[in-house]
This record gives sequence, structure tokens and C-alpha cells, in this order.
Amino acid sequence: MKASGIKYLIGQGVDNIWKNRMMSFASFCVLLVSLLLVGLSVLAYYNVNTIIGGVEKKNEVIVYLEDGTTDPQLKQIGEDLRRLPNVTEVSFYSKEEAFESLKQSMADYEVLFDSLGDDNPLVDAYRIKVDNIDRIMDTIEQIRMFGHIYSIRAPYDFVNVLVQLRKILTWVMGAIIMAMVIVSMVIISNTTKASVYSRREEIQIMKYVGATDAFIRFPFFVEGMITGFFAGVLALGMTWLVYNALVSTLQNQSALLSIIGMGNIIQFSEIYIPVAACYVLGGALIGAMGSAVSTRKYINV
Amino acid sequence: MVELKDVSVTYSSGVDALNHVSLKINDGDFAFVVGSSGAGKSTMIKLLLKEIDATEGKVMVNGYNLSKLRRKKIPELRRTIGIVFQDFRLIPSMTVYENIAFVLRVIDAPAKYIRKRVPYVISLVGLQAKTNSYPNELSGGEKQRVAIARALVNDPKLIIADEPTGNIDPELSYEIVDLLMGINSCGTTVLMVTHEHDLVRHFGGRIINIKDGQVVYDEIIGGADEG
Repeated sequence: MKASGIKYLIGQGVDNIWKNRMMSFASFCVLLVSLLLVGLSVLAYYNVNTIIGGVEKKNEVIVYLEDGTTDPQLKQIGEDLRRLPNVTEVSFYSKEEAFESLKQSMADYEVLFDSLGDDNPLVDAYRIKVDNIDRIMDTIEQIRMFGHIYSIRAPYDFVNVLVQLRKILTWVMGAIIMAMVIVSMVIISNTTKASVYSRREEIQIMKYVGATDAFIRFPFFVEGMITGFFAGVLALGMTWLVYNALVSTLQNQSALLSIIGMGNIIQFSEIYIPVAACYVLGGALIGAMGSAVSTRKYINV
Repeated sequence: MVELKDVSVTYSSGVDALNHVSLKINDGDFAFVVGSSGAGKSTMIKLLLKEIDATEGKVMVNGYNLSKLRRKKIPELRRTIGIVFQDFRLIPSMTVYENIAFVLRVIDAPAKYIRKRVPYVISLVGLQAKTNSYPNELSGGEKQRVAIARALVNDPKLIIADEPTGNIDPELSYEIVDLLMGINSCGTTVLMVTHEHDLVRHFGGRIINIKDGQVVYDEIIGGADEG
């Protein structure tokens, strides 16, 4: 096809938006709502997941070592711990530090400590942090295999709650997002079908005068793409407003923030590029494909 | 050229719409196809446009063997045919000019040619004053003239007019047939389907009468205006 032909078809697509403005507006609104529903759900899931991740990272496992473990052995255990795949941080906590810390926390019972003299009943320990809390049990099992381990203290109950919570959340949010995607697709498909149906005569005439399928579908494709693009742009703007409003509301809730940690809430400025790309490209793609697929039915004349 | 050789069409409902029809319309001919509702006239048009396929027999249109024509090639066939419908079928959102130019755009004609050809065809049907009007601003007769101009613009070998006078005032019907005959005199084959016997008797020419899916009459008669 000549460049003038393509230019004409693109022009037709643009003109069609105005000529069929009621149906275009309906498609635009459906696309906008669908994009918002799916987009906000994904952002909500992403944030909650990050918050849980942040809480998880605060948890540490303490590995107590047997009394009498020599310095080279201590060093070796430290290296072995660092080498474990799921371990992100390893810090040594000597029995002297532990004893000092204990004394300070129990200052009222100084007498008790005096009776101990120079004897330190505590043991050396390593504090470690794990990357993936789901695999904490495997990591603990691996540590148990090392020699000179007296005991290991890990927040088992808390970990289980978090792992369960994350699993439930993933399923529930996944189901909600899937349902919204399906509902959106059905609505978009029906709106586009209605839009195409209202122009079925036009399509029939095109066929009778010898238009190819591609020639007929191209303006619908352009029309759907432009409608989707603008729906994506508006959805992005609205998401930005809603998201920032929610973040500033949360920033005023100091009690809640102390639990979840402000650093775990994702700022819109950090994610606006991928969000914009998803909205705008997603909108354009869904609009274009919806139109192109829906024209197929009326093309077989 | 249109040629039907022993053609039958049976719909999936079991209705025999055409029953062993054979006829030939040579290039440059003008033929009226007459018959009552349900006789098989519309089926014949659908067949010629390859909207449906013959159950039996061979259909040739402008050198295309329709039983062997692949779906992809249908637009190519239709570009050799101009079609005029009873209900005009103009695109309401396009002006007279755009409705006609549209056919040339479909075949990817150069913009310069479109700018020259469309006003010429509009002048042939006498609608220069309505070039920028929309279909809803036109009378029935004017709409049909636009439809004829649209059928003509691509310089087709064959024009099929399906009851072109069915939706317009009787006195304007004669003008429409006159226009089609004028086009035919320039060498285009015209097949006009109608059930208006008065009109046929008035103009005369080749009459093909279809009844119950069969050709029951195929003769050339003299028109009333020939005396």
C-alpha cells in the first residue's frame, strides 16, 4: 500500500472517533475504568507485598555457639554462614558484648552479676538475616549441620504467620486482579462489538466495493489504539492523584507507619515510568486488539 | 462477461434457490432480470458477488471462475463489479464526494487521479451541486445517483443494479434506468434486477425472467418508446 493510502486510513481512524463519538466515549470510559481497576489492584498488591517483605527483613536468626569454640573455628563458622545462599547479613555478637548488654538491661540486679565475678555464663553468637523468609527453615537446617552450634533462635511463629499471610494475599489479590482483567476484557470486547456492529453496514459496503480485510480493519485498529492511548493517559493521571493522596494520608498515620515502616511504602515518583508505560501501552494495545478482533465477525460478507 | 452453466444453489435449510440455471450475458450487454419475490434474483446477485457459492455448476464473472476463486481474491473480483442497491447503502458519515472517492481509495488509486475522477463521475450523474452534501440531505433519487456514481467510478466491467428504482418515486425511476442505459452505451455491461414490469416494457431489451429458481423466459423485446 502507498504511503498516501496509509495516511488516509490513519485519518479515517481519527475521523471515526469523532464521527462515532458516543461509542468512542463508551469505549474510552470502559477502557479507563478497566485500566484503573487493574492498575490500582496491582499497585496495592505490590505495596502490601513490599511492606510484608520489609517486615520480614527485620527478622533475624541468632546462632549460639558452643562454649569453648576457638577463634579460628568462630571465624570459619562466620565464613560458612556468609556463604549460605539465603543469608544476606552476618554479624558477630561476642559473649562479652552480650554480657554487657544484659548487665545494662538488668541494672537493678547488679548484686547478681557481682556474685558471678569474672565468669560469663553467656556464649558467642552470630546474628544473621535471611533474604527469603520462605526458605528460613532450610537455612536453619543447613546451619545445624555446622559444628560447634549450641542452639539457634529464629522467630518461627512470626515467620509462619508472614509466610501464610503472603500466600493468602497472593492468592486473593491474584484472583481479584484476574477477575478484573477478565471482566474488563469482556466489557471492552462487548463495547467494541457494539461499536463495530453500529457500523456493520459501512463494513458491508466496503466489502462490496472490493476492500480487503486489512483495509477495513486498519481504521478500527487506529481508532481503538488512539482511544486506548488516551484512556491510558487519563488512567495514569488519576492513579497518580489517588496514589499520592493515599500515601500522604498514610504519612499522617504515625502509629501505622511505625509498624510497616515508611520506607516500605513505594513513592509514585519511583515507579511512574513503568506504570506510565503499562497504562499507555496497555491501553493502546487492548484498544487496538479489541477493535481488530471484533471487526472480524462482520468482515465475512 | 457473466456466465452461469447449469448452476444450482441449495441453502442449508434445504431451499432450492436456483435450479440448474444456465445463461450468458456478453460484455456490453444490458439485461433486465425480472421475477417475483423469492424467485431467486437475490440469490443470483449473491452468487455473482461470491457472497455465496453454487452448490452445483460453474459461475464465471469477468474472467473469474468463482468456484475456484480463493477468499483472498474476492476483493479483486468485486473491484471489477459496480453494485447499486435498492436501499442505496451510502455511508451516512461521508459526503457525496467521500462516498464515491472511497471506492478509489479502496483500490489504492493515486490521490491525483481521485481528485480528477470523482468530480467527473459526479458530473455524469448531475450532482455537482451536492458534492459536499451528506446522504441524509439528499432525496431518494439523488441518493441512487450517488450510488450509481460510486458503482461507476472504478470503471467496472459490470454493473449490477439490484432493484435500483425500488425506493424512489416512479417518475424518477425512468431517469435512473436512462442513466444506467447511458453507462451501458459506453461499453459497461449492466445487469438490472427489478420487479417493475412497466419499466421493463417501457425500455425493452433483453429480459430474463426467473421463477422458482429457474429461467423461464430469456428474450429480447422492443421498448414502448421504440414505438
